[in-house]
Amino acid sequence: MGAGGGGGRSLSFETPGAKATKDKLMECNGGCPTGKGMSWAQAILLARGASRGWGGICSTALTGAPFSQVPPQAPRGLRCSAAAHNPDSSLVPHPPEPPRRPVKALAVHEELFRPALDGARNKANFVRAVQNFTEYNVHKRGHVDFIYLALRKMREYGVERDLSVYNLLLDIFPKEVFRPRNIFHSIFLHYPRQQECGIAVLEQMENHGVMPNKETEFLLLQIFGRKSYPMLKLVRMKLWFTRFKNINPFPVPRDLPQDPVDLASLALQHMEPDLSARVTTYQMPLLKDSPDAMDPTETHIVGIQSPEQQSALARHDPARPIFVEGPFSLWLRDKCVYYHILRADLLPPEEREVEEIPEEWNIYYPMQLDLAYGRSSWDDYEFNIDEVEEGPVFAICVAGAHDQATLAKWIQGLQETNPALARIPVVFRLSGSSGELLPSSSELEEPPPPPPEGQEEEDSQQRQQQGQS
Amino acid sequence: MSGCGLFLCSVAARFCRAPAAFTVIRRPLLTSPPSRAFAKELFLGKIQKKEAFPFPEVSRDELNEINQFLGPVEKFFTEEVDSRKIDQEGKIPDETLEKLKSLGLFGMQVPEEYGGLGLSNTMYARLAEVIGLDASIAVTLAAHQSIGLKGIILAGSKEQKARYLPRLASGEHVAAFCLTEPASGSDAASIRTRATLSADKSHYVLNGSKVWITNGGLANVFTVFAKTEVVDSDGSVKDKITAFIVERDFGGVTNGKPEDKMGIRGSNTCEVHFENTRVPVENVLGEVGGGFKVAVNILNSGRFSMGSMVAGMLKKLIEMTAEYACTRKQFNRNLSEFGLIQEKFALMAQKAYVMESMAYLTAAMLDAPGFPDCSIEAAMVKVFSSEGAWTCVSEALQILGSSGYARDYPYERLLRDSRILLIFEGTNEILRMYIALTGLQHAGRILTARVKELKRGNVTTIMETVGQRLRDSLGRTVDLGLTGKLGVVHPSLADGAHKLEENVYYFGRSVETLLLRFGKTIVEEQLVLKRVANVLINLYGMTAVLSRASRSIRLGLRDQDHEVLLANIFCSEAYHQNLFTLSQLDKHSPENLDDMVKKVSQQILEKRAYICTHPLDRTS
Repeated sequence: MGAGGGGGRSLSFETPGAKATKDKLMECNGGCPTGKGMSWAQAILLARGASRGWGGICSTALTGAPFSQVPPQAPRGLRCSAAAHNPDSSLVPHPPEPPRRPVKALAVHEELFRPALDGARNKANFVRAVQNFTEYNVHKRGHVDFIYLALRKMREYGVERDLSVYNLLLDIFPKEVFRPRNIFHSIFLHYPRQQECGIAVLEQMENHGVMPNKETEFLLLQIFGRKSYPMLKLVRMKLWFTRFKNINPFPVPRDLPQDPVDLASLALQHMEPDLSARVTTYQMPLLKDSPDAMDPTETHIVGIQSPEQQSALARHDPARPIFVEGPFSLWLRDKCVYYHILRADLLPPEEREVEEIPEEWNIYYPMQLDLAYGRSSWDDYEFNIDEVEEGPVFAICVAGAHDQATLAKWIQGLQETNPALARIPVVFRLSGSSGELLPSSSELEEPPPPPPEGQEEEDSQQRQQQGQS
Repeated sequence: MSGCGLFLCSVAARFCRAPAAFTVIRRPLLTSPPSRAFAKELFLGKIQKKEAFPFPEVSRDELNEINQFLGPVEKFFTEEVDSRKIDQEGKIPDETLEKLKSLGLFGMQVPEEYGGLGLSNTMYARLAEVIGLDASIAVTLAAHQSIGLKGIILAGSKEQKARYLPRLASGEHVAAFCLTEPASGSDAASIRTRATLSADKSHYVLNGSKVWITNGGLANVFTVFAKTEVVDSDGSVKDKITAFIVERDFGGVTNGKPEDKMGIRGSNTCEVHFENTRVPVENVLGEVGGGFKVAVNILNSGRFSMGSMVAGMLKKLIEMTAEYACTRKQFNRNLSEFGLIQEKFALMAQKAYVMESMAYLTAAMLDAPGFPDCSIEAAMVKVFSSEGAWTCVSEALQILGSSGYARDYPYERLLRDSRILLIFEGTNEILRMYIALTGLQHAGRILTARVKELKRGNVTTIMETVGQRLRDSLGRTVDLGLTGKLGVVHPSLADGAHKLEENVYYFGRSVETLLLRFGKTIVEEQLVLKRVANVLINLYGMTAVLSRASRSIRLGLRDQDHEVLLANIFCSEAYHQNLFTLSQLDKHSPENLDDMVKKVSQQILEKRAYICTHPLDRTS
């Protein structure tokens, strides 16, 4: 998405914006959020694409001359010099946490968001704060700053997915003032700071997957008019949101369960393709108030196993060890879950059993024809795929701790439904790191990945699971 | 076919370009040894005229005999059997059973020397027409003698026959066939019932449960299939299926309570459990480890009678509905004057006519000396008649309107009763597989040499095939000798005969193409196999009606013109169906939707639910 400098970008204005939106949506839909840095970069690119889109199209449409070749900075600079506070990136709406925002302006309204008497941070209090601003500030002085501030506060108040709150924020803008009055207004960015702010509101909606409605459109129409960047953004959102909303074939529920056991079973069901598979809770976490709540051996252990995996395990040759491997990470929206698998190595080709069709199998019709020839090459639909065969996975588990003691409990639990497991040696191959980048913020409640231990502990930790737990 | 043809052309072209100095070895064309199997030859695009033409007859004496016997049975069924009561109470009254026994209906096919009636298959089919009037009784009798005691007739030793058949034929003992298990429907490998030889080798100890056993509660003699350990020729011990004759008196035989079924409610179906039942070694049916073949033979032999059974029921149904249609007035007109109602009667008559013809043709084939293998034909009769029964009863219900839906009339019972026909004795899906695969196996063996040469790129064979295809595509008239001077079909049916010939010829071509394309992997192509079976069933039906109608004309039977009409209607309809099906078998035809169908079902089965979002849903 090279939306950087250079001419000719106006003609492809649809693509970058659209793609960015798509990427972002897929991300909100339950894929793996790739971290804040990435989405910020996307936001910038998106806004660039959005803003240049109109500029490009208006100029080409109007003049017919190669106006689009002119770097868009020039006209913008002219128009914005009065209002811009940091002209070098005037068109870039700042993501909620950019450090560059003047601190002085924020302090003015910060008090509106002081915790209310009851201390609750909820929608009512947020709405009250906004109303207070509009009431006491009849001239709406500093409303752009206030909106930026409110956008940042939304998450704290838990209203970041509430469409009515976004509409309320947009409603703060004075109406009719920023509408372009003539053709030149609409060519050159009219009231850029306000438009940026409007885009920022839409941007945050986008990030949280909130679909604008008629009221949003009507407000934007009143505030910025039909030919404005927020409006363009809105139109794009309306187009692409619907198309990408259901693009993820493996949807994750919007609100993830808070309980780690529920979250674990959700994650397991998310990974397991077989719908017959059964989730078993091998151990419930100790209650918070119990004295030894910090004891890592008393965390939750939740596992999943399908009937097919069970029978595969029963057929497994006890002479070959099976492995507990992990932890591997799975992201569900903004939460990371670590899981372990119980797997075996692929059998060497000479030891694999060839599946034979017994002669007397089907009472009603022959299961195989006694013919010397098989399928013709022109009826062979198999693509030439280079497949990497992997050993079978017998079960998956999600546990609160990643040490061997906890996982041994899982294996013990598995033995109840898989008696064959008692005879098979189990080797723990626990790697130190999960191989994933970790979010630096402390918001996430997941337990940190296990501290790096010895890397290859196979030999030292190999131990045979004895018959009974 | 076109794609295949193209390929052949290109191969041929490649070989033609090479001015090779190969010697052309003209192989003698492989012809099949003269065989009696009519249906199998259809797979090769040939009609075994001798088998199906002229339509088989029975001698005057036999006819008199069966008619004599038929009188009292028919009287009993129309006057004394209260089907409604049987259905409501879920039980055949004892006096009815007694009467059936005294009529000898429990031993229709048991040889006379063992006290049975010793009826031929044709006569049995004739009698089945009457018995079919009450489905519960028909199923009870069929379970008793078509499968229950059939094993003893087919595979039993002299002693076994002498010991069991007389009492079974008289009805003193009732027989049941115990094959199905909770985990094993048609999968013989998953049979869990086990028979272990005792230490002194005098008896087997039988343990296990069987489900869906018709007559399970009434029977005293069971044909039971169980796994036994058999020492193979190479010394290894294997589990193989063995058939046993088990008497209830052996002990340890219990049965569950009768299943509450949708139809055939008067028949007794329940679970049967065997617990340490001691079965003497003399009661092994056939060889130890040979139970699989016994089961297959019993099942294959029992199917053809459904054709005449259903036909008898349909004839009765036509009478009843015609009565209604000719008396019920709407808009001052009888129902019978409306075209849409008339159409239904034509359909019912046509189906009844076809299945009757098929059933008696098959019965006659089975009665032929020697042990002809007519299992494909019998399976075709079963598939056609069961589906015909379902559609016809449903159409009859439609004629009746709401009355048909009411319990006061017998129609809803007939509908419920006829539903089982598509399921038992091998579901129609399974039988279609059987029909297609058995035929393809036969055709495949004979075509092996040809297919191999084609695959190897033998120029002569390829040129021959290409030439044949070219001639076919230019529209050749197929003449397999059904009509004409020495023809076996009457000229007034010549049109139908030509259609049959054309269908048979192109069916043979399609089979060849399919074998070329899929080879032995065709076992996995169930949609293809279903179509092959459908075409074959139609072809067999066409043959049967042409043969029968020709005979009727030639003999001057009453209402032969009606028969000609029915035959022509069926031949025409079946011809067009076949053309469509054959074009569906073509790989690249627009009619072939298999890929899409498979994809849809895969997606559904992956989610195990209906996938589409609700029409009222929206994304925003």
